[in-house]
Amino acid sequence: MKRLAHELSLEGQPGAFAASLMNSSADLVARASSGDQEAFRLIFERYSRPVISFIYDLVSDRSLAEELTQETFVRAFRNLHALRHETKLSTWLFGIAKNVARESLRARARDSRRVELDDKSVLDLSDKAPVPVNQLLNKELNELIQRSLAMLDDDKRLVFTLKVFQQCSYEEIADITGFSISKLKTDLHRARSEMRRRISPYVRL
Amino acid sequence: MKCDDCLNLLAEYIDGEVIAHEAEGISAHLIVCAGCSSEFESLTAEQEIFTRYDRELDISPGMWSAIQARTVTERRPVDSRPKFNLRSSLAGLFAVPRLGFAFSGGLAVVIIAVVVGALYLKMHQQTATPETVAGNHEPILRPVNKGGGAVPPVNPTASVEGPVGENASHRTTPKTAARLKKSDDPGVLFADVAYSDLTERDTAAHIQQAENLLRSIRSLQSSDDVGEIDVSYEKAMSQRLLSENQVLRRDAEAAGKFPAKELLGDLEPFLIDIANLPDKATPDKLRAIKDRVQKTEIVAALVSY
Repeated sequence: MKRLAHELSLEGQPGAFAASLMNSSADLVARASSGDQEAFRLIFERYSRPVISFIYDLVSDRSLAEELTQETFVRAFRNLHALRHETKLSTWLFGIAKNVARESLRARARDSRRVELDDKSVLDLSDKAPVPVNQLLNKELNELIQRSLAMLDDDKRLVFTLKVFQQCSYEEIADITGFSISKLKTDLHRARSEMRRRISPYVRL
Repeated sequence: MKCDDCLNLLAEYIDGEVIAHEAEGISAHLIVCAGCSSEFESLTAEQEIFTRYDRELDISPGMWSAIQARTVTERRPVDSRPKFNLRSSLAGLFAVPRLGFAFSGGLAVVIIAVVVGALYLKMHQQTATPETVAGNHEPILRPVNKGGGAVPPVNPTASVEGPVGENASHRTTPKTAARLKKSDDPGVLFADVAYSDLTERDTAAHIQQAENLLRSIRSLQSSDDVGEIDVSYEKAMSQRLLSENQVLRRDAEAAGKFPAKELLGDLEPFLIDIANLPDKATPDKLRAIKDRVQKTEIVAALVSY
């Protein structure tokens, strides 16, 4: 892997795989919107992981996240011609993914799948004292974060996920969500406080 | 800077969302204030916890096949839409008896208005000298300060073309660039030209993140008695920046922006080395990278971009 990365970047003689990585988003979009399936496959390869992670953080359901990721890319393909030149592809895809996820959440609103913190079957740490993060098993930490995230309300979870996990800028988040910068700052601040409050009983920071 | 101000901005500072002079104020304050420094460390630790979050999601090979199956029937999404045909549309309009005369009359008025307007603008432009244009537009790239005040103006050419010997506090960060005045500013045309190239803006944002990463690596303790050092956060960040760097470098090369291409090329080996560190790096591995960062003055090169 190291050798491959070195070859990609230092020799100036990128191979076929490198060429695929080097395709700029604008080129890929142009090619894909004129029907080039290979270009669209490269877009899928480049963005499917962040998109499925983002959707999973919103819906907390693995198989649903896969289904919605598929739907996101199908909608993206159908609407590539509507992608404005100045819009960043990742921002646009996250915007579609957010809409797809929200539609799904609304549809299953009555059948809420939020995991409650007192559900002992998922994670049982409540009787333990806070431990350093390194002593917490990855599985435990993942479950703790996932459950804490699921407890946030929709707007806060959306903003928190985009900022902390997807490392979007405030402006990108504003583009994706349609929120004002001041609202998203407030939501982010509150989301961080809530996450800290939920995690700190288990993890010593 | 006061502690309250610092604490209010700390999360934004870690997110890279504060403007240059605020960042400088916070950095300076953190050096002298133990309380704020401790809060900074706990926020960073919290961030690292979230970096470790692994959803254990896989992209199944079947997902692309399913997408392909659903989209293959829509091969040419643009072409499949009904094409706008000016000739037939106009013919259609004129073919409607009730609209034919009114439409042709209206069209004639519009054409006359456009021609007169174009002539007027042409004459108006000829009367403006380069000096008056420069004078009118000098302050246009003044980033808008959050507090409502203005920070010093930025030379649009310098910010686009690359290295300049300007004061660090005058440097246009991607965040400040994004806060440029919008269309109500009389100089909006110049601002748009300066920043119309989104790749340039992406590159600037990328370079700032890389700069922060290298600073973070440089400040890690790497003495032999420290033992292994957790660099998982830096590693994850570097992996993300690496793929971005490759794309931006190629774009810069294609656009003939050789200073940017060279800088990104110089940066890449560092990103590769950091991305390939184990999560727990040994002090000697870390020291080797730090020494190279120091020796090549890559941080200074990034700062001057």
